[in-house]
Amino acid sequence: MAAQGNGSNGGIGAAKTRLTRGDVAAGATIARAGKLAGNPYLPEVATVLEIIDETPTIKTFRLRFDDPEVQKNFSFAPGQVGQLGIFGVGEATFAISSKPSEKEFIQFSVMKAGEVTKALHNLSVGDKVGVRAPMGNGFPVEAWKGKRILYVLGGIGSAALKATIEYTLEHRADYAGITILYGATHPTNFTYWYDVKEWQKRDDIELVLTIDRDCEGWQCDVGLVPSVLERMAPSPENTIAITCGPPIMIKFALISFEKLGFTPEQTYTTLEKRMKCGIGICGRCNVGPKYVCVDGPVFSLAELKELPDEL
Amino acid sequence: MAIKYLKADALPALLEALAKNARVVAPFKRDGVVQFEPWQSGKDVELDVLLAKQSPKEWVFPQCETYLKFGYRMEEPAQGATAGTATGAEGEAIGGEGAAAVAAGAEPAIPHETVEVEALNEAPAQVIFGLRPCDARGFVQMDQVFGGYGGFYFDPLYNSRRAVTTLLAVTCRDPRSTCFCTALGGCPAGQEGVDALFTQVEGGFVVEPLTEKGEAVVGTAGGDLGDATEAQAAEANAVKAEATGKVDVPFALEGIRDHLHDNIDDPGWHDLCMRCISCGTCTYVCPNCYCFSINDELVESEGERYRVWDNCFNPLYTEETSGHNPRAQKSNRFRNRFSHKFWYYPDKYDSLLCTGCGRCIMHCPTRIDIREVLRIMGAAPGAAAERAATTAVTPAATGAPTGAPAPTDGKEA
Repeated sequence: MAAQGNGSNGGIGAAKTRLTRGDVAAGATIARAGKLAGNPYLPEVATVLEIIDETPTIKTFRLRFDDPEVQKNFSFAPGQVGQLGIFGVGEATFAISSKPSEKEFIQFSVMKAGEVTKALHNLSVGDKVGVRAPMGNGFPVEAWKGKRILYVLGGIGSAALKATIEYTLEHRADYAGITILYGATHPTNFTYWYDVKEWQKRDDIELVLTIDRDCEGWQCDVGLVPSVLERMAPSPENTIAITCGPPIMIKFALISFEKLGFTPEQTYTTLEKRMKCGIGICGRCNVGPKYVCVDGPVFSLAELKELPDEL
Repeated sequence: MAIKYLKADALPALLEALAKNARVVAPFKRDGVVQFEPWQSGKDVELDVLLAKQSPKEWVFPQCETYLKFGYRMEEPAQGATAGTATGAEGEAIGGEGAAAVAAGAEPAIPHETVEVEALNEAPAQVIFGLRPCDARGFVQMDQVFGGYGGFYFDPLYNSRRAVTTLLAVTCRDPRSTCFCTALGGCPAGQEGVDALFTQVEGGFVVEPLTEKGEAVVGTAGGDLGDATEAQAAEANAVKAEATGKVDVPFALEGIRDHLHDNIDDPGWHDLCMRCISCGTCTYVCPNCYCFSINDELVESEGERYRVWDNCFNPLYTEETSGHNPRAQKSNRFRNRFSHKFWYYPDKYDSLLCTGCGRCIMHCPTRIDIREVLRIMGAAPGAAAERAATTAVTPAATGAPTGAPAPTDGKEA
């Protein structure tokens, strides 16, 4: 009976009673955790390098993997997500918001909302976290070469699009044009304000900032994102529209896109769902036959229209 | 592979021989309930009750399974680390100069907290004896999920246990009124996932080894297993044919995926779910419901992360921190379970996620019958409304579609 470990269930090999960190191939991240490559449930330990207070409820965490090999080999596609967790509290899914070209650290922006996010907000520099990343599909930025890109984002939705925006800005020459419409309730609620100021300096992109209600000292647009979008009236010709923000903003932005003549194939968003395993097994993040953790989080509106109304 | 014969009174000896090298799990009756439990010398295997209350899936995919252990501890600064910050108050140092040191990639000059993480994966060799072909098929259907999404994300916990598990199934002689395996392409003597099939005949079992693992069992049994005579083999075939004929085929499943897709907004879902109490019994007794949750526990500085069976009928299953719930209505969750088995899973893995064991029908406290749900919601649009109108959605209608005995046949405790 002992020989059964090498039995007919091809490719699994002899069962181990214990897996250790050493069993995980050097630099193996979750996306490469195929057969025999390692344990996709085992987080990589990382250290908090820096914490940035973005808004009263959002903090950005810059992390470095403790294993230098993992840090060196870590790469992800813009739009991919990761499971960030604290051992003893739990894990939750966040968009990776660092630049894909950033090799020194990996960054997540976290809004304080539930148990895990509260614990994350209590972290200090030097504390240990667990990261399983990257996961999901990312935006098809390669296929978009030569097109104009229109980003429509609001509030914490900026975290999900940050890596993609930075990627297209770094590869500006590949795209026919870049427009960013970014809204927040109040000037203090813009995340990445330090980067937004850099974007304002560029003359090769169009940046529109808007707040819901006017306030003293504000010099940009005022109005809800969908109404500002309709005022801007961007042409749908050769353009990809990408939106992420609070569900109510996404809902009305999608309606505005349709009014402006954008087809469902031209319109993209990135979804958020409660997740546990993050690898398409545990079964809670499905929208119909699609699992947000592996088939998403990026979907075109055309794909979403095929799914049950369970967003 | 040669067909063998095992005398009924030689079964304990066979299990004892197998138990020398592996954990042997088999159905036993305790306090009136039949469950799969580790075999011990002197315990009698219960084969008269057709189905154990739960399938043996928990022996490969445990209800609760710790897979990470971790511990926090304070680490002293490395020798030769920058002095100066060590004397400061700890909190201040971590946020202040200590932070700069960490950011620069150097060891901080103060004691700092670190975490050690260990992955666990217990996978002792085991033999599951006495499961039915439908339960073995349940493992085959779960294999696709845990085998990874397109062979990519490979679940090491499930698969290491599955690789060292041998399935010795016993042919169903007397299918119940709730059995509908043949509607799903199964059979009371089905071979899918089975390593060796035991068929009860006069005085013992006809044993058919079907895989290398099954051959290994025959090897272990040694002299107790003789070659089956032609008469014995013929008797086994007769038993199989008779049992297959007894299984009701209450409905056809042709086109069910497309029909569920077309009926997604049908109000029939709302009507059918009315008497569901979201208890999740159907998901726990199901041989291939595999959804799970992951939780952490921490006591002082030591803790563990474990996965535990979950229930897709629970409103908290999908509820998000914001309070938004993608499947807020009971009808959404009800639709999700049946659609998962007959639409979502087939889209990914090209087979249905159901073996027709009928446990969910037997154990549902409100007598919801999956066959009735599929007859109504799996019918072509238009026909669905018609069938719903002609099928009384009452407990009396759920048990015996063709006048067979009621679901509880007295053998089940």
